[in-house]
Amino acid sequence: MFKLMKLEWGKLRQKSIIGEVVIYLLIVMFLPTFFIKMVIPDFGQSYASMIELILPIQMGFVLFGASLINQVVIDEYKNKTISLSFSYPISRKKLFMAKVLFISLFVFLITLVSFLLTGITTYLLDEAFSIINGQPTGTDISTFFIKMISHSIIITLISLIPLFLFGLWKRATIPLVLCAIFLMQFQNFSYLLKVNLNPDLVNFVLCILGAASAYLSIKLVDKLGDI
Amino acid sequence: MDYIIRTSGLTKIVKGKTLVSNVNLHIKKGEIYGFLGQNGAGKTTIMKLLTGLLSPTAGEIEVFGQRLTEESKSSLKRVGSIIEYPIFFEHLTAMENLMIHCEYLGFYDKSAMAQALDMVHLEGIEDKLVKDFSLGMKQRLGIARAIITKPELIILDEPTNGLDPIGIKDMRDLIRMLNKEYGISFLLSSHILGEMEQVADRIGVINKGRLLNEVMLADIRKQRTDYIELVTSNVEKAVYLLENKLRISNMKIVQGNRIRIYDLSQSQNEISKMLVLHDIGIEEMQKHTSTLEDYFYNQIHGGGNIV
Repeated sequence: MFKLMKLEWGKLRQKSIIGEVVIYLLIVMFLPTFFIKMVIPDFGQSYASMIELILPIQMGFVLFGASLINQVVIDEYKNKTISLSFSYPISRKKLFMAKVLFISLFVFLITLVSFLLTGITTYLLDEAFSIINGQPTGTDISTFFIKMISHSIIITLISLIPLFLFGLWKRATIPLVLCAIFLMQFQNFSYLLKVNLNPDLVNFVLCILGAASAYLSIKLVDKLGDI
Repeated sequence: MDYIIRTSGLTKIVKGKTLVSNVNLHIKKGEIYGFLGQNGAGKTTIMKLLTGLLSPTAGEIEVFGQRLTEESKSSLKRVGSIIEYPIFFEHLTAMENLMIHCEYLGFYDKSAMAQALDMVHLEGIEDKLVKDFSLGMKQRLGIARAIITKPELIILDEPTNGLDPIGIKDMRDLIRMLNKEYGISFLLSSHILGEMEQVADRIGVINKGRLLNEVMLADIRKQRTDYIELVTSNVEKAVYLLENKLRISNMKIVQGNRIRIYDLSQSQNEISKMLVLHDIGIEEMQKHTSTLEDYFYNQIHGGGNIV
């Protein structure tokens, strides 16, 4: 399976993806400082508040997930290169599972790296320009690492939500991106609209939807995956 | 019989439209089998079914004696193919494309890649991006990719499409060479009879998704009906004389004044000499040979046995 996942990477336009990742990381790592200084200074009250700010910012990687779905799934169908893979003596389910795992692992690792970079950058900027009140406590640090891992998993699963409908079935890039933007901003919209949603419950439901989308994609690739 | 591909009742229906209907195909080891049929006859669909790109609505496919299903595709390891047109990861180089192909098949022999490129006269292009290739070069690269792993069967859909006359000849020679020297069997498709005639051993005639006939080209050549057509104003007397003087019995009157003589025991010269001697005016006399084209035209438009 790892070999098949490696082959998915080999087939991609690697330079463009690396460029995309670098841009995402650079933007996201400075966003908490930008928000505290320019938009909502309340998040600078403590490191605990700053950690709460980092979480929705990292949701940006749901959009990166959509970009990967576009290149790993939709482009392969549009360019018909998927027919090459399907003519190899490997079942479609296994081939598609490799695609899903590749996208998941990639989004998870990049989100994890982004969390780390954002945390470190914000801390260093705070040291230099004193943006956040106080110093990070041991609890703040352990909370940060726990949320870093749990939210990387959550973001990975949410990024898979459009995979089945807009990736495999409809193979439509624009709806895929719009869906990713909606998912990314969903919790902010509800905050702005003053709709009181339990964020843990929302994340749980979205994760279930993401897992179901991945499962259906692998399960139904034989039926919906004709070229 | 040693069949490497056998289908029974193979049928494919998409959105209520029957693309392939009850096809019983038989491809023998070592032969070059040609699918002949008009555009849209179902050649490509059958090839897609044989390579696992489509799954049949009904019927069975056996590849190298193993039933081909989505769960059991291991026999495809012994098959190389280009269906419709050669597809590549255009942003990658020729060598990167070949390496991806080999990785998927678990085949690791770099020298085989260089050898395959040599065979299709594509030396020195390893590091060039496929998007910069002409269609002819892509066609050759596709063949190179199909032969790297030395498969026992190569399936090529319209392999001469997009090639110039020299490219077409090279392709033909390559197919013949791989068949003779490496014993690779081929399944080719074309809507051009002349192409098929020059390489195929056996032809499967396809029309409207049905396999009308499977026939050896050598047999068709033997069966070609030759006749002498004679045009005269006195048909009755001419027929009487041909029967009684030259002992010709196998003939047919067409369009009132034409006699088709299928019994070729007497030469054109002897027939005309005898008729002139008996004052029969000959308006026209010609020897006809029915072409392979006539044979296939009759198969497609006149029906034919369904295999």
